[in-house]
Amino acid sequence: MLRIGTLRRSIIVVAIAVAGGVLAGSVIAAQRGGDVAPDFESLQAAVAAEQMTKVADIAGSEGAAARGIYVQELDTGHLCVWDAPSAASRERQGGCNSIEEPLGGSALSARLAYEGGPAIESVRDARLSGLAGSNVASIVVVMTDGSERALRLKEAKLSAGDFVAFGYRFKKADLRKGVGPIAVIAQDADGGEIARQPTGIGG
Amino acid sequence: MKRSLLAVTVLAFALALCTSAWAGSVSYYSSPYWSAGQGGSSSFSSSWWRSTMGKNASFDSTVTFIDNVSYSWHSTLRGYDTYLATQWFSSQVKKAHCRANASASAWAGCTAWN
Repeated sequence: MLRIGTLRRSIIVVAIAVAGGVLAGSVIAAQRGGDVAPDFESLQAAVAAEQMTKVADIAGSEGAAARGIYVQELDTGHLCVWDAPSAASRERQGGCNSIEEPLGGSALSARLAYEGGPAIESVRDARLSGLAGSNVASIVVVMTDGSERALRLKEAKLSAGDFVAFGYRFKKADLRKGVGPIAVIAQDADGGEIARQPTGIGG
Repeated sequence: MKRSLLAVTVLAFALALCTSAWAGSVSYYSSPYWSAGQGGSSSFSSSWWRSTMGKNASFDSTVTFIDNVSYSWHSTLRGYDTYLATQWFSSQVKKAHCRANASASAWAGCTAWN
């Protein structure tokens, strides 16, 4: 009888302790989760759930696989642009802005993604992706040696408006020589500068 | 009885840790104002796979992962978006890192996801 009594007490103590442990863990989890702004949590959930639409391509070259530039227009009121191997891939890199300012208040919104570094010479792959306003006729990337790379633009008609989309992979020969991007410039039909976005490898 | 209590205490502590680990994200750095080069890093862990930076205004910033062997950068992303996200699916021990590339009077916070 004593053994059964001891066993019962132990079971009750264990049950209370487990419940306490779970509660404590939940509180810790809630506190840690609470550090993330709620709107960004809901945004990330929408990013994971909603479909992506391809708006431009990045061709495979020099051993690097082809990728696509994808757009999401989310119920949260955000427009997101992703550089990813496919529409279903979780290996995406990109960003979101409010649908009211899908280009962040500029005529141009570009993202630079790269693997390796931070020294340019050790970067194995570097890509540029983004959107610009439909009034943009051309986009060039200014490199650290003063040369320019012209980007191919593709029309992207979205619910948020009409844009041009672009994706570009930097040549490994440039990277090996320490030549990387320093600015992205959007131009009108006359070659006049509409918007400029500084960028670069290594910050 | 003392043994039972000790076991229970250890179990409860382990459960608490496990439950918090399942939370999925840790906010590791934030600031209401940024200067060029300012940033922060998470702890090193093999379980981080997403690095994000949320801002209340657009400014030039970078999110990346830094491994603990060569300290190379991985899946780095630089942009002006109010929300930047990059993923690196690797079992390597790494830390999430974020930084501003320009000064900004805007709040921004950086989060590592597991």
